[in-house]
Amino acid sequence: MAWFLIKRLAQSVLVMVAVAFLAFSLFRFVGDPVSQMTGVETSVEDRERLREELGLNDPFALQFLRFTGDLLQGDFGYSYRTRQPVGEMILDRLPATIELGVVALLISLVVGIPAGIYTALRPKGVTSQSVLLLTLVGVSIPTFVIGIMLIFTFGVWLNWLPTFGRGGTVEIGWWESSLLRPEGWRFLILPALTLGVYQLTLTMRLVRAEMMEVMRSDHIRFATARGVPWRRLHFRHALPNTMIPVITIIGLQFGGVIAFSIVTESVFQWPGMGLLFLESIRFVDIPVMSVYLVVIAFFFVVVNLAVDLLYVAIDPRLRVREAA
Amino acid sequence: MRIQRHFRPALCATMALGMAGTAAAETFRWASVTDPQTMDPHAVNAAPVTSFLNNVYEGLVRRDGDLAIEPSLATAWEPLEGEDGWRFTLREGVTYHDGAEFTAEDVRFSYERAASEESDVRSWFAPVTEFRVVDDYTVEFVTDGPNPLFPESIANFLIMDSGWAETNGAERPSRDAENFATRNANGTGPYVLASRDPGVETRLTPFDGWWGEDRGNVTEGIFTPIGNPSTGLAALLSGEIDFIEPIPIQDVARVENQDGFKVIQGLETRVIMFGFGHDHEALLYSDDVSGENPFTDPQVRLAVAHAIDVDTINRVVMRGTVEPAGQLVPEGISGYSEAHAGRPAYDPEQARALLAEAGYPEGFSFGLKCTNDRYINDEAVCRAAASMLAEVGLDAELTTVPVRNYWEQLRADDYDMYLLGWSPGTFDHEHPIRFLMHTQDDEAKLGSWNFGNFSNDRVDELLPMIQNELDPQARQEMIDEVVAIMQEETAYVPLYTEPLIWAAKENVDLTQRADNFFMLRWVTVE
Repeated sequence: MAWFLIKRLAQSVLVMVAVAFLAFSLFRFVGDPVSQMTGVETSVEDRERLREELGLNDPFALQFLRFTGDLLQGDFGYSYRTRQPVGEMILDRLPATIELGVVALLISLVVGIPAGIYTALRPKGVTSQSVLLLTLVGVSIPTFVIGIMLIFTFGVWLNWLPTFGRGGTVEIGWWESSLLRPEGWRFLILPALTLGVYQLTLTMRLVRAEMMEVMRSDHIRFATARGVPWRRLHFRHALPNTMIPVITIIGLQFGGVIAFSIVTESVFQWPGMGLLFLESIRFVDIPVMSVYLVVIAFFFVVVNLAVDLLYVAIDPRLRVREAA
Repeated sequence: MRIQRHFRPALCATMALGMAGTAAAETFRWASVTDPQTMDPHAVNAAPVTSFLNNVYEGLVRRDGDLAIEPSLATAWEPLEGEDGWRFTLREGVTYHDGAEFTAEDVRFSYERAASEESDVRSWFAPVTEFRVVDDYTVEFVTDGPNPLFPESIANFLIMDSGWAETNGAERPSRDAENFATRNANGTGPYVLASRDPGVETRLTPFDGWWGEDRGNVTEGIFTPIGNPSTGLAALLSGEIDFIEPIPIQDVARVENQDGFKVIQGLETRVIMFGFGHDHEALLYSDDVSGENPFTDPQVRLAVAHAIDVDTINRVVMRGTVEPAGQLVPEGISGYSEAHAGRPAYDPEQARALLAEAGYPEGFSFGLKCTNDRYINDEAVCRAAASMLAEVGLDAELTTVPVRNYWEQLRADDYDMYLLGWSPGTFDHEHPIRFLMHTQDDEAKLGSWNFGNFSNDRVDELLPMIQNELDPQARQEMIDEVVAIMQEETAYVPLYTEPLIWAAKENVDLTQRADNFFMLRWVTVE
């Protein structure tokens, strides 16, 4: 088990270095940071001096080594745009993104799993068919359109909920939370719905497909033949078997939710890491972009690792193989 | 066209402040696309920063609603006698937000700070050879020649308290890591920086000890950047914010038709134009012309001007919000040449004839480079212009890039023809002559945005004379001559002046300044 962990951790570090390298090599195409940092009247000479100071004239390999070296020493560098320490900027925005992602994921599970079970058990019912049709629409409409539609419906037209930003937060140490006051939830609910819709449809369709598959399998048929009550059959025998692959996929999806919250955050001006990343692209703020991508890679790596461990825990066969 | 609403002056403002504890507390929320990157007035010379900080800090002089210079921390200024330069008499009894007194020492400190290597605004002080403190309330700037526009050119030179900066280790603008002045401020201005969460929210509250009187009734100003235009519009229409700038042209009708909201529309000082690679040996993106650059021929450039129908672009792409332009500055800017007010008419026949005369009867193909996120509807304008050019045989291969890549590509000469917008920072015609018309000269810091390196000896000769001329009549004549050269040579093809489109709730009274600066003290909420 320990060996397995070490192996996975080593692989994870490799993944992060690779992401950092790829990201870094792409930044040359994002644009020129110096043009963004200076005004129109700044002389060519001053601009060149700034470029030199930032080390932008150094060869790519040197810039990359300097970045990874600093990163390993815990020095995340300073933003070109605001001159703030990048570590602090990301940490400031982290709670907003995590809370948004977790709530979106919860929405998708709480609605998606029951809906998936229902549509699997009554595949021909009118309700099932309409739910399926609705989810098809949910999958096809781009996230930002869903967001704008929700904003104009609940924010502008009905005037029930705020249209942008994050408010009503409570500070717990350095972590600012939206979850502790109703006011916080009023700001959170629309972005979380927007972010959760895609996940919801995905979860629902996955649960449905798995459930239908399991219902066709031998042990369910035998159980049916034995006269096991329907309730017990569905929820005791079929559902757990359905959930194993579902849990894996959902786990992996969480990394995606965090990474793809960019669009939702931009539509709702939600002050999370995704919005910070977008602003940074606009200003060619290379230090912030780099650290953001490494942090996102880190998320994926951790989630993957957790899912792998979960697998070992759930599936006894894997444990046997590891032991041998 | 230009709607200017004026604030209700002194009396109303003081009344509102007097009643602040009761019903008159007016919280004013506003939004714009870009968050000011810093609260340091000398660190970045960018409009979002200077505009915002003019609410907190003040300069020796300031601009009124019509961009004219008026006294601020200086009550009077006059040219020095016996040498070139200016003497400023400072206002007495002014205090900073932290209670410190404003004196000439602060001007010296701020001058040294703003002119330092770490500053991004040091170009304003390029002509200054010496700075003198005469007494506590008199300072002198000595310049390297007569400089009639010096007071105008330092309208955004904001004064910082020397004691505060020294105590907090912010003697110089930050280059690498932030310093205390990046997120904190201590000015003499009408509003105090109450809180700052970069990229999220910045709050301003009125400064009770402010020396001035013409201030509206806002008791708390809350600024939020909103990057997405649809989100901004929704925030306004839902009543969560009171004011937003800018809104997209296509949303104007929507806001105007909504009860309780209004659009405030005027002209900005920015002229949108096309430029050429004057010093390019050959076209980069041509299928049919190689080894030569037809745009070096003034006739070809004039053909471009005649081929583009600005009125149609205005009607179709800009929904009638722009004003056609024939010079590098719009009408109303000082130095605008009345003598050369015309612009080449839309005349495709003439364009074809000019091309034939230049030896390209069938036209030719070339590359047109444009931004897609810098100016209002920039990509659509270029698309429209390209189809108009195609009518006369000029086959433009259009490439649009985000502004973050744009300047780098133009500096690398990666274009045949390009789009450019220019707003004269000093609100004088000398500004575009210095940056766009003078031959590129890095040493002398001239022609730094003259990407195609248009070069004319007479223009180069005239620029220093314009800069030093004290007689307005003689100065205007020299500017007229430069404009004549620009138009004769078609150095650029000016298209139009961009609009400013702001939107607010009906009960908000404010002043729109043509440089797109937003002054909170001109806001009155009814």
